[in-house]
Amino acid sequence: MVPSKNRLAVSCPTEEQNLIKELVALSTTEQIRKIRELPVSFEEKKHVRLVESSKGFFSKYVTGQYFALYLSFIQKCKEDVYLWVLLCCFLPLQSIRRFGYNIKSARQTLQLWQGIMKEIGGKFGSSVLNYFVLLKWLLLFNIFSFLVNFGFITIPLLVSDLSPNVSPNVSFRGLELLTGAGYFNHTIMYYGSYSNETFRGLVDYDMQLAYFFTISVYMVLCGLVLIFSMASSFKKNYALADQASNSAWQLLCSWDFSITNEKAVNQRKNNLRIQLMESLSEKAHRERQTTSEQLKQYGIYFGSWLLSTGLAVGCGASIFFLCQYEDEVRKSTYCCRNPEAETLLVPFVVSLMNMVIPLFFSLFNKFEQYSSQRKQIYALLFRNVLLRISILGVLCYYWMNMVPQKFTCWEPIVGQALYRLVIVDFIFLMLGSLFGEFLSNVIGTRIQPRLGVPEFDVARNVLEIIYAQTLAWIGIYFSPLLPVIQILKFFILFYLKKVSLTHNCQPPRRSGRAAQMKTIFIFLLFIPFFVGAVSIVAYTAWSLTPSEHCGPFRGLNSTFSVIGEWINDVDKVSSTEWVVWIYQNVIRSEVFYFLITLIILVIIYIFWQLIQGRKELIVLLRKQIANEGKDKSFLLDKLQDLQKSCPKVNKKQKKRTTVCFARFYSKFICLQFFCCCCCFCTLPNVLFFFSTQADAQLSAPLEISPTQTRWFRFYSLASSWRKRRDAAPVAFQSRRTFPPPAP
Amino acid sequence: MGTTASQLPKDSLSEYQELTFLTKQEILLAHRRFTELLGRDERNHPNPRVPMQVILTLPELKSNPFKTRICQVFSTSEDKDGSLTFEDFLDLLSAFSDSATLEIKSHYAFRIFDFDDDGTLDHSDLEKLVNCLTGETEDTRLTSEEMRQLINNILDESDIDKDGTVNLSEFQHVISRSPDFVSSFKIVL
Repeated sequence: MVPSKNRLAVSCPTEEQNLIKELVALSTTEQIRKIRELPVSFEEKKHVRLVESSKGFFSKYVTGQYFALYLSFIQKCKEDVYLWVLLCCFLPLQSIRRFGYNIKSARQTLQLWQGIMKEIGGKFGSSVLNYFVLLKWLLLFNIFSFLVNFGFITIPLLVSDLSPNVSPNVSFRGLELLTGAGYFNHTIMYYGSYSNETFRGLVDYDMQLAYFFTISVYMVLCGLVLIFSMASSFKKNYALADQASNSAWQLLCSWDFSITNEKAVNQRKNNLRIQLMESLSEKAHRERQTTSEQLKQYGIYFGSWLLSTGLAVGCGASIFFLCQYEDEVRKSTYCCRNPEAETLLVPFVVSLMNMVIPLFFSLFNKFEQYSSQRKQIYALLFRNVLLRISILGVLCYYWMNMVPQKFTCWEPIVGQALYRLVIVDFIFLMLGSLFGEFLSNVIGTRIQPRLGVPEFDVARNVLEIIYAQTLAWIGIYFSPLLPVIQILKFFILFYLKKVSLTHNCQPPRRSGRAAQMKTIFIFLLFIPFFVGAVSIVAYTAWSLTPSEHCGPFRGLNSTFSVIGEWINDVDKVSSTEWVVWIYQNVIRSEVFYFLITLIILVIIYIFWQLIQGRKELIVLLRKQIANEGKDKSFLLDKLQDLQKSCPKVNKKQKKRTTVCFARFYSKFICLQFFCCCCCFCTLPNVLFFFSTQADAQLSAPLEISPTQTRWFRFYSLASSWRKRRDAAPVAFQSRRTFPPPAP
Repeated sequence: MGTTASQLPKDSLSEYQELTFLTKQEILLAHRRFTELLGRDERNHPNPRVPMQVILTLPELKSNPFKTRICQVFSTSEDKDGSLTFEDFLDLLSAFSDSATLEIKSHYAFRIFDFDDDGTLDHSDLEKLVNCLTGETEDTRLTSEEMRQLINNILDESDIDKDGTVNLSEFQHVISRSPDFVSSFKIVL
């Protein structure tokens, strides 16, 4: 069917009937969904809907031409009849469906920031929108964490009599908001204030188990959600993308239809032209590079990578020494006008490094010339990630190894350090927005117009919020209410970034690969940052001794031994022995994990081989399609040649058959005439004859006279001629016409 | 204005919700914007049809390089002049909405790119497509040599049966490999 013809019903009634038959077999919601997905105009969809809904009900009684009549009747008095049909059969289903739609639209209005995100997506495109979507997603993680922690850990503590008491000589000063120490130290904010008792009440509520399970179940759920979204994003956006992703088709198909600004459209057109030219000349450029130029290129790569790694490691080392210096200062008796304000030094330096060093990385990036823009972005991202991981790694090493030895109640100290990091990071994010976007805009428009209005740097901003979320994930164990701070932070950050974006930035000039970048961001979120956070928490729970005088795990050898004790308790109850069995033989045994790993490796190998086979199949099928196209054109050429070479034969045959037919027809006309004449002449005789025969038949046996036999023979001959006349035109038609050649 | 004639009846609203990919708010907004485009005397007409020039004054379509093709593809008028009724307008918004499926979008994209409406994208269609997207003026156009090379690259990549044209299935195959298409083939009022 030619796509430009919009009329389904008019051109192909059988196709419509097939569609109707298919639709009647489905459920109502499925029917509606299928009709909605038909690529035809609205009137056609209404028509199909009407036909299939009435056919389902009246199919027993209405067939053939009455069906069309019935349809026209329905359409004339649509209101009355449709209403009657509705009342009889479809009203309950229709009203339920309509109720469902109302709920769906209500839910959409309640969804957080839906309108703002649509506006941003419309003006700035989907790569910028990815940042805000990720921000909203991480906010939901934090809201869930807060609800879970507050519900299962904090509320039981507050409800019971063991809520922490603040000693009277500690008062609230403003500085606690920044440092997290002092007054906050004695509140439910930190690990240290939670008790290790079991509350006896309606239900026995073991605080130790509650704390442990809440944190670990939350981490596991986060991990599962991340894995699933990463896998689905990978499948949709990355794995299906071809090797030649910078190809012309990709560029043409990614034209953003939602840009409404005339200037932005012209800019995009210009950039698309440049990108198309680049894609044309890329291959040529690569071949034209001489060996010395290539060596120089590699030298530049090596130098910049060395420098960036050196910078990252150097930052890590300096943070380590700074922490030790701070520790010594705390121990020594002199100085320290304000020992608590000094604790802000390390977070300040960390955030300063995180803001300044990436600028150096961008500078290196400008000197290097990567062959594609994608590799450029990846290199920049990798260096930034390396910097942040090294700083975080050093800090965690310090917290895990040095802090427990120096403090009696060390978990709240770590919690406070993380709190300070989160707060100072927030302040620096706001400052960064000021410098990065507002100042650049001012410089670009007033002072140095050549630079122009800045673009929103998606990669840098995304990395910042991923880093912020990592801090929260590490901190959940040490400070269960840290998600509250994080929620506030992300909430304010959303509105801040949105205002900054709309006032200071312009839409991105290059049509970036938004979908692939989204996959990369989720991957980054998961692999270095989430896995790192979980391993820190797991290491703390497994290997480190909890502090003896505070917190829910006081007095135990390690946090994980809570499970051991619980299993011992469960063992005493005879009905739950299977739990103990599972624990001993599945979770604690090494053979189980070994077997599982082996099975998973085998499965991965099988899937990998399947993929290789499928790739080869795709290549074969492509060749087959190309060959069939060639066969088709070959056969068509042959057919056309054949037709060209015998047009005279056609004409001759045509003449002969028309002459034959004309002869036969004339013969037939004569015969018919003769029959009619004979009939008229002999009809009275026949009538008289039969009437006399009727009298005679009653008395004498039937005698067939010679005239009768002659009549019968004639009659049978005439009837046989009539039969052949009815059959003849068809036979002659098939001999006369040729099958039309295919176009 | 707020007259009763400009309100959507409830039956039609639910029907539109069922047969398009738009939500209730989007349909009501579309109705409001459509009635704004109508002249005063046309508002009481049962099924008004807006000519193409008036549709192209909408800010969402004004700077779109494919504005005339879009109107022609979605128009159900007999003389193919690109005029749209309200249902055509809803069809347009539904195909360009967030929740439309990839098949619908690729089908309509194919029809929009098919400038001569013959069911395939041949050399002239692709040339017009590239010119639409790179610029119409003399200094922004590609040279004929570059154009030829570009179209050869495009056909190499997407013409699987090597007949020199891109048909609907081949186009959909190319689209399925570019994940940005769904998010960029969008027009939101």
